Amino acid sequence: MSNSSANILDIKNIEVRYDDVILALHDVSLKVPKGKVVALLGANGAGKSTTLKAVSTMLASERGKVTNGSIEYDGNSINKQTPSQMVGLGMVQVLEGRRCFGHLTVEENIISGAYSRKLSKGDINQELEKIYTYFIRLKERRKSQAAFTSGGEQQMIAVARAMMAKPKMLLLDEPTMGLAPQLVAEIFNIVKELNTKEGVSILLAEQNTNVALKNSDYGYIIETGRVMLDGTAQSLLNDDKVKELYLGISKKGRKNFRDVLKEESLTKRSN
Amino acid sequence: MVDELLFFMEVLVGGLLAGTMYSLVALGFVLIFKASATFNFSQGAMVFFSVLAFCGFMQDFNIPFVLAFILAALLMVVVGLCTERLVLRPLMNASEDTVLMATIGLGYVLEGLAQAAWGVEVRRLDLGIGDFPVPWIADNLKLFISALDIFAGLVAALMIIGLFLLFKYTKIGLGLRAVADDAGAASSIGIPLKHIMLLVWSAAGVVALVAGCMWGARAGVQFALVDLALKALPVLIIGGFSSIPGAIVGGLIIGATEKVLEVYIGPFFGGAIEGWAPYVLAIFFLLYRPEGLFGEKIIRRV
Repeated sequence: MSNSSANILDIKNIEVRYDDVILALHDVSLKVPKGKVVALLGANGAGKSTTLKAVSTMLASERGKVTNGSIEYDGNSINKQTPSQMVGLGMVQVLEGRRCFGHLTVEENIISGAYSRKLSKGDINQELEKIYTYFIRLKERRKSQAAFTSGGEQQMIAVARAMMAKPKMLLLDEPTMGLAPQLVAEIFNIVKELNTKEGVSILLAEQNTNVALKNSDYGYIIETGRVMLDGTAQSLLNDDKVKELYLGISKKGRKNFRDVLKEESLTKRSN
Repeated sequence: MVDELLFFMEVLVGGLLAGTMYSLVALGFVLIFKASATFNFSQGAMVFFSVLAFCGFMQDFNIPFVLAFILAALLMVVVGLCTERLVLRPLMNASEDTVLMATIGLGYVLEGLAQAAWGVEVRRLDLGIGDFPVPWIADNLKLFISALDIFAGLVAALMIIGLFLLFKYTKIGLGLRAVADDAGAASSIGIPLKHIMLLVWSAAGVVALVAGCMWGARAGVQFALVDLALKALPVLIIGGFSSIPGAIVGGLIIGATEKVLEVYIGPFFGGAIEGWAPYVLAIFFLLYRPEGLFGEKIIRRV
């Protein structure tokens, strides 16, 4: 199938359990075409992080396991690899909550991303300069201790660190969590730039449906461990259900929770 | 008056230098605490195991001093390798408490192995440096300071400089500090935890060997070394569990205070307070500065 080689990531009907008991994913299938940005959307606990960790094989460290289905990355199936092997294959996950090394400086954090590559000092500096062209703000703060930088800067550190591993594919877990709207836009601009200029394929998990879809090519919406809806980002943005449930917009215009309650009580009364 | 001052100086300097011997033991604990966030209860057994093996190589097989030391150091790397493979890797995703319990078990295994292989009698270890006052210092400064203490101080200083350079300027040092900060994030960017663990446990083994040589030369190579290593606990509480300079300063403080207290306050308690005085000091630190003098404060943005 010519289609399969066009996808860098192909998840087929995976089921994930934690501690052999708790079923976190029932049935998730998704594809990431090479060089594209795909958004994975859903509320808290829908299974976004679990899906990403299944791909990066970070599940094992949380006592989770893929119990059914298959994951294919770059033509190879993933099952027994360790996270560091996945990094070697060019797949890097940026974990939820940024997870910078707080006691290391900003620059040490970024350099640590190149750990898996055998680079000389000169090569590292060259890579570093290239990374700084995307993250200009980090260059100014290169000598500060990472724990004392702002939330937005920490997110940039986490992405810059992942980029130092020279990934073919990035998994971003809620990159805009807790950030001000201006910073959300800045982060997404950088992500788009990395995607177009460096050719990195991206799978990103987000709760911020609107911004995520506007910056993606394709989207999947999952709920309680199942894919409910998928389509091109444009079609999802125009979808009535998505508008109503995730963007808070109905055909009649903006809608808030009180309006929904009022509607419900009206339909009850009429029954 | 001058005599009294000289006597005080002698007690103090003697205590400080003896403290570096505690520091050497504490260094091993710090290395492992940094990487695994676990207090390694088997560190004392590692001290005993390594130095007994060193003596065994020299005395039972007539291997020359330097070669025996290298063999013992290699043996500790093998111990580190086995520990990583047989204990730590299966417990990779277990809680820190589980790993802590495993280190207690590991300690017993090492104690048993050492005694099974090399016997239980006390062995003499001669480093070629006597544990008696250096004549030159005694004559000129009127201070009686043991040559072994001075040697231990020098060795401790060298080890700290070496470890500092390793952590700050090498790639593996960067990896180790990253793992110490957030092991999950480190593994997400491809830092292989097992290599770091292997390195740390081997380094802790070699540090244990050096500490064991110092203590063995002073007190004889015997089972009591295992308990002596626990003296490092108050050192770590004072210095901070994750700080290498902390281990050194903590050792100096413990060494100096226990000797000074023993001499000046000891008589009121009927003597022998150096056994417990450090722990009292440690309790005060736990109450008022639980992260220790140099421990990494838990940095939290609000």
